Amino acid sequence: MAQPSALVHFSGHQHLRNRLVLSILSGKHVRIDKIRSEDKNPGLRDYEISLLRLLEKVTNGTVIEISVTGTTILLKPGIVSGGTLQHDCTLSRGIGYFLEPVIMLAPFAKKPLNITLKGITTEEHDLSADILRTVTLPHLQLFGVSEGLELRIKRRGAAPGGGGEVQFLCPIVKQVKTLNFVEPGKVKRIRGVAHAVRVNPQFSNRMIEASRSILNRYIPDIYLYSDVYKGDESGKSPGYALTLLAETTTSAIYCSEAIAEPGVAPEDIGLKATRALLTEVEKGGCVDQKHQTFILLMMVLGSEDVGRCRMGEPTPKTIQFLRDVREFFATSFKIVSADLSDPDCFQLLYSCYGTGYINANRTLA
Amino acid sequence: MDERPHKAHRAPQSGGKINKKGKEKQQGYNEKAFAPMSGRRADRQGRRNVERDQTRLHVPLVNRTPDDDPPPVIIAIVGPSGVGKTTLLKSLVRRYAKQTLNEAKGPITVVSGKKRRLTFIECNNDINSMIDIGKIADLVLLMVDGSFGFEMETFEFLNILQSHGFPKVIGILTHLDLIKKASTLKDTKKALKKRFWTEIYQGAKLFYLSGVLNGRYPDTEIANLTRFVSVIKFRPLVFRNTHPYLLADRLEDLTPREEVRTSKGKCDRVVTVYGYVRGTNLRLGTKVHIPGVGDLEMKSVTVLGDPCPLPTAESEKRRKLSEKKKLLIHAPMSDVGGVMYDKDAVWVNVPGSFTRGNADVLQGAGEQMVMDLQDVNQTLEDRVAQSSIRLFGSSSKALTVEAAIDEEDEEAELDEEDFDSGLGSEEGSDDEDEEMDEDIPRHADNTGRTNRRTVTRSLPSSIKERTEVEYAESDSDLGEDETEQRTGGRVRVGGEEEEDIPSDEDIDEEEEVEDIPRWKANLADRAQQLAAGTRKRRMDWIKLIYNTDLSPEEILHGKTTEEKSTDDGDDFFQIKSKHAEDPEVLDCTKEPVDAESLKKWEAEEMLDAIRHLFITGADDEAGDGDGDGGEAEDGENDAEDENEDAEDEGDVDSGKKMKGHVSRTDALARKKEILKRKFDEQYDDPDGPKADFYDEKKEEIAQQLATNRAEFEGVDAEARALVEGFRPGQYVRIELHDVPCEMIEHFDPTYPIVVGGLLPAEERFGYVQVRIKRHRWYNRILKTNDPLIFSLGWRRFQSIPIYSLDDHSIRMRMLKYTPEHMHCYATFYGPVAIPNTGFCAFNSLDASTPGFRVSATGVVLDIDRSAKIVKKIKLTGVPYKIFKNTAFIKDMFSTALEVAKFEGANVRTVSGIRGQVKKALPKPDGSFRATFEDKILKSDIVFLRAWYSIQPRKFYNPVTSLLLSEKSAWKGMRLTGQVRRDEGVKTPLNVNSTYKKIERAPRRFNPLIVPKKLQAQLPYGSKPKLMAPQRQETYLQKRAVVMEPEERKAVALMQQIRALRKDQVARRHEKKGEKRAERAKKMEKVDAAKSEKEKERKKDAMRMAGQKSKREADMEEGGGRPKRRKT
Repeated sequence: MAQPSALVHFSGHQHLRNRLVLSILSGKHVRIDKIRSEDKNPGLRDYEISLLRLLEKVTNGTVIEISVTGTTILLKPGIVSGGTLQHDCTLSRGIGYFLEPVIMLAPFAKKPLNITLKGITTEEHDLSADILRTVTLPHLQLFGVSEGLELRIKRRGAAPGGGGEVQFLCPIVKQVKTLNFVEPGKVKRIRGVAHAVRVNPQFSNRMIEASRSILNRYIPDIYLYSDVYKGDESGKSPGYALTLLAETTTSAIYCSEAIAEPGVAPEDIGLKATRALLTEVEKGGCVDQKHQTFILLMMVLGSEDVGRCRMGEPTPKTIQFLRDVREFFATSFKIVSADLSDPDCFQLLYSCYGTGYINANRTLA
Repeated sequence: MDERPHKAHRAPQSGGKINKKGKEKQQGYNEKAFAPMSGRRADRQGRRNVERDQTRLHVPLVNRTPDDDPPPVIIAIVGPSGVGKTTLLKSLVRRYAKQTLNEAKGPITVVSGKKRRLTFIECNNDINSMIDIGKIADLVLLMVDGSFGFEMETFEFLNILQSHGFPKVIGILTHLDLIKKASTLKDTKKALKKRFWTEIYQGAKLFYLSGVLNGRYPDTEIANLTRFVSVIKFRPLVFRNTHPYLLADRLEDLTPREEVRTSKGKCDRVVTVYGYVRGTNLRLGTKVHIPGVGDLEMKSVTVLGDPCPLPTAESEKRRKLSEKKKLLIHAPMSDVGGVMYDKDAVWVNVPGSFTRGNADVLQGAGEQMVMDLQDVNQTLEDRVAQSSIRLFGSSSKALTVEAAIDEEDEEAELDEEDFDSGLGSEEGSDDEDEEMDEDIPRHADNTGRTNRRTVTRSLPSSIKERTEVEYAESDSDLGEDETEQRTGGRVRVGGEEEEDIPSDEDIDEEEEVEDIPRWKANLADRAQQLAAGTRKRRMDWIKLIYNTDLSPEEILHGKTTEEKSTDDGDDFFQIKSKHAEDPEVLDCTKEPVDAESLKKWEAEEMLDAIRHLFITGADDEAGDGDGDGGEAEDGENDAEDENEDAEDEGDVDSGKKMKGHVSRTDALARKKEILKRKFDEQYDDPDGPKADFYDEKKEEIAQQLATNRAEFEGVDAEARALVEGFRPGQYVRIELHDVPCEMIEHFDPTYPIVVGGLLPAEERFGYVQVRIKRHRWYNRILKTNDPLIFSLGWRRFQSIPIYSLDDHSIRMRMLKYTPEHMHCYATFYGPVAIPNTGFCAFNSLDASTPGFRVSATGVVLDIDRSAKIVKKIKLTGVPYKIFKNTAFIKDMFSTALEVAKFEGANVRTVSGIRGQVKKALPKPDGSFRATFEDKILKSDIVFLRAWYSIQPRKFYNPVTSLLLSEKSAWKGMRLTGQVRRDEGVKTPLNVNSTYKKIERAPRRFNPLIVPKKLQAQLPYGSKPKLMAPQRQETYLQKRAVVMEPEERKAVALMQQIRALRKDQVARRHEKKGEKRAERAKKMEKVDAAKSEKEKERKKDAMRMAGQKSKREADMEEGGGRPKRRKT
């Protein structure tokens, strides 16, 4: 009776999150096999299982079949339902790992999403809660998702103990706006959050001092906050980190982050974050590297108009993402140098014709 | 008033008036003539104008159809049979294309003006066709038989239109010549117009066509109609503006004949459909739905030359369309010029006798074709072997044909397609090629039509398929080649100046050969420069990403395809690329920060080098000159910093200083200009015409459309198709695989084939919740769980809805039947549609259904994977032991487990005593303890009101009408009642459900006994005042009465009088009864006479009707008009 929906097939454990998100958004079934099949410890990792569970919670009618060995999964996506949810993330990955796909799905849910995630808020591999709050969410606002969009960091939790908690609130939209963002502008302000939990609170001030020593030469509009969480709100493990972001006149945002490493002074962490920020600023573009895929996805989902965005060179992840998008949405990007007259120009202009994706899950009246 | 006569007027002999005489009429608008007489009137008039202006405003909608080269407008001719649709179609085609069609079938495209093409399609009387046509028609010519009036189909069609977005409708009244009397004609016109206006809108256009002359309508009337058609404007309809679609004007079966033969025609077919893309851009990789067939996958889409092109600006310098262009007509399913395209054959209709070599007689296109075919006296292979193909016009040596004949041949074809006229030597073999390859557009240069030539069956169709494949392959080859060279270029560039990057590939190649030594020499330098992070590269990212199978890392880190290919080719054992398979690589967003790369920031000059990226820094030498607001603000700052910056830059690159200086003055001038403009805007015209919301939105839409156009202006067609799909207005050929063979076997050109593109969401299945209302003209109510046929989105399908109503926003409560005059909800399983899509529903699509067939209309509200509908269920039980407020209840549940599930649930007795389920009891299974607010009676029945959730049945049955040999005879799932009727099965009768006489024993109530002790304690007011009835006789009862004689007489008299009166009344009554009987008898007689008369009348009427139907049947047999369904 029900015709089998199109099945998209992938191999390997990489890019799992994007593929799952694309599958859920496009409604195409996806089969991913050879997940670490050659490894001593084959199959899905605990955090991937946790992610699948999270996606099952966020959606209604999703069927996930995992093979006995865990090396193959088949996802038959349902609809994104949203609502009030709670999820305990595994401590092997940060909250960012779980929250990123949720942020991509949330605007297309049936009900506004209110999800509480517990786990590690700042981690080495994944976007920290600070970056998600100060950078990712403003990027979502570019697409017309703004009212009621919020990320509350209720508790901080550093690795390995975790104990952090964030609450993500996201409204729903009918359709995301078409992006036309080609002017990178110039950096007009720099903001930052330095936090230190279960360590000497002076650490954050030391990081800020170090960072200011470099940044003060550029612009006067620099505010680096020292964010202190005490007692129960500070999680289970000690840790500290500095998150920096630079905003341009056209409100493009570059960000960087450095987190505590054993045997490194807080000053060095501050310097590392600052230098990473300068690297991002130097690379330029309208969107920093970490958010390329996110922006590209939203551009694909825009109305049937041409969306344009100027960005740096694609990361490997972005390249794979572009290929995956073509599998799922049959849409390709036009990628040309942002400045054809300038041969040194590293920046590229990504333009695509939106698919006219409408939030079909939304209830009418 | 005095009565003196007025002085006669003397015309002026000189002066102003006389001088003015020359220009009698004032040109232009005379203000005075329309000036209001009074202030109040002026006010009213002003208000009216404003209101009228408001009615003109509509929500701004984006029109996705491009203005230049739009697809032809689809004009559907709809009406009941025998109303004159074909005649009108022929007349219109004759008017536009000067051609007479014998068999006008399928879509017919003609050029109607310099900017407009029209596709005419006649809609037959089948409701399936009407639904499909209603979804795609831009303009409907709704034909009504004026001599007969509106028919049911007309109204059904209008309702279908309404639920799928209303296209423009022009009414056409025909057969008006059958009404002889002028006054009747006038009245009929008026009445029909009034009805038409109520259906469409007040003032809708209605045309009158009088009679038929020479098998056509009068030319003047048709000319009038076409004038209206040519000026009509279209408002974009939401559904069509979000979906790509095309109306197939040609269909072809590409299945290998052998396969068809071996499977006896039952194998799935490969089918190509042709048509203009409409709506939005059509993308390869999405699914399409053909209503009546099903969802299909597009295997390939190719743009073909326009078979009916609009005149270009060069060809048409005149204002009017030239007569030549008027002759263009594209109607592959009809018999234009004596050629008819069938599903797998081409028929050439030759009038009279056909002899070869009769050159003086003018030959039609078909005859020419046949003669060309007859002329061929060599096989294809020989031809190819003989032909000499040069890749370029300038090539000196022709390619030799050896083993790879096929490839070369195809390449040649490709070339021809790409650069039409680029071939010199090809001309000779042109004719054959064209017959062979249908994809090459051929424009007949001056006369007749420019139809596409179909490939004939004798050719192996696989050639074409291979062409497609080769095309794709060669494309990717091209990409790889290019990347190779490009990357090579990149490597080399390190040692050279940047300007030397040659864009031309030929030069590239040459240079590479001689450059290699230099390339080696500079190796060290290059490495250094690379390390310094000044890699210069200009890669074709699109090709690298989409057309190669390099891994992302390889693309980024510059592994060339060359290496890869050698790997693939030479080594039998391959080393797995470690990177991609590494299980420890995490799926992380943050790229690990390379500590080494951060070291560069330790140098001061590096820190200073990026100063220009901050607002406090100067404009950099790159001079992006965006001139945005932020920069303008900090203009002063910039000026300050400029000097020192200039020095810095000077150190770095003295050569650029001059250039930089010039550009800086330029930038300053530009900045000043912007500031000035801003100032002007603010101060010159502060209260100028402010753009209101409406204008703003329109402006926004126009701007976005302009961006869309500009973005892909210079991009080549192929890349464009990749990025944006196939634009509306392009004539495409879509190859579909796995098409049911019945579609081809039972193909009928009179039934439209619509190819509708599906959005990603629409391919899925789920529960669709809709707001539905039974149509007021449908004379039965709809029942839950009865199958209903929906026309939703592109699809037509049967599903089983459950009706429900929102119960206090708490629950969705199931309804057994749709409410009488109200909307309700319905939930059914089926392919989902985007919320806010309209639909209409039918109980039966059968033409023989009496009455109105559209049974409901509505709109989609929600889609989900589960449905939350509940129905009420009452569980009953009886008490078997009653304590004070506690009772043991049995017969409600059957196990303790069930009780456990309902612990704490509210129960109620019939008498209204409320209670609660407490706990299961061990003894009789399923019994439980319950407490009540009062003591209940043994005779009380205890209810538990619960809600049982129900899911709609997962039933989806597409209406596959196009797959049937008899298209209108589709049979869906029948109703239970229909099945029973057809099978002759009686309705099963549950004995418990029958109504029986209820025997109610009179209830006995025990007396209320207040215990003595309690009574004693009660205050007097509360003491029961009920006393036992008196047992002894009272005095009045037991006394003896002795009357006086007079008294006794009086009493006796009274008794007698009463007796008399009684008797009198009785007699009167009897008499009245007699009279009544008499009257009844009389009335019976009268009634009998009356009914006799009635019978006679009915008999007469039936006889008349019978005669009429017989006449009609006779006419039908003789090709006359079939039976009508009168409204």
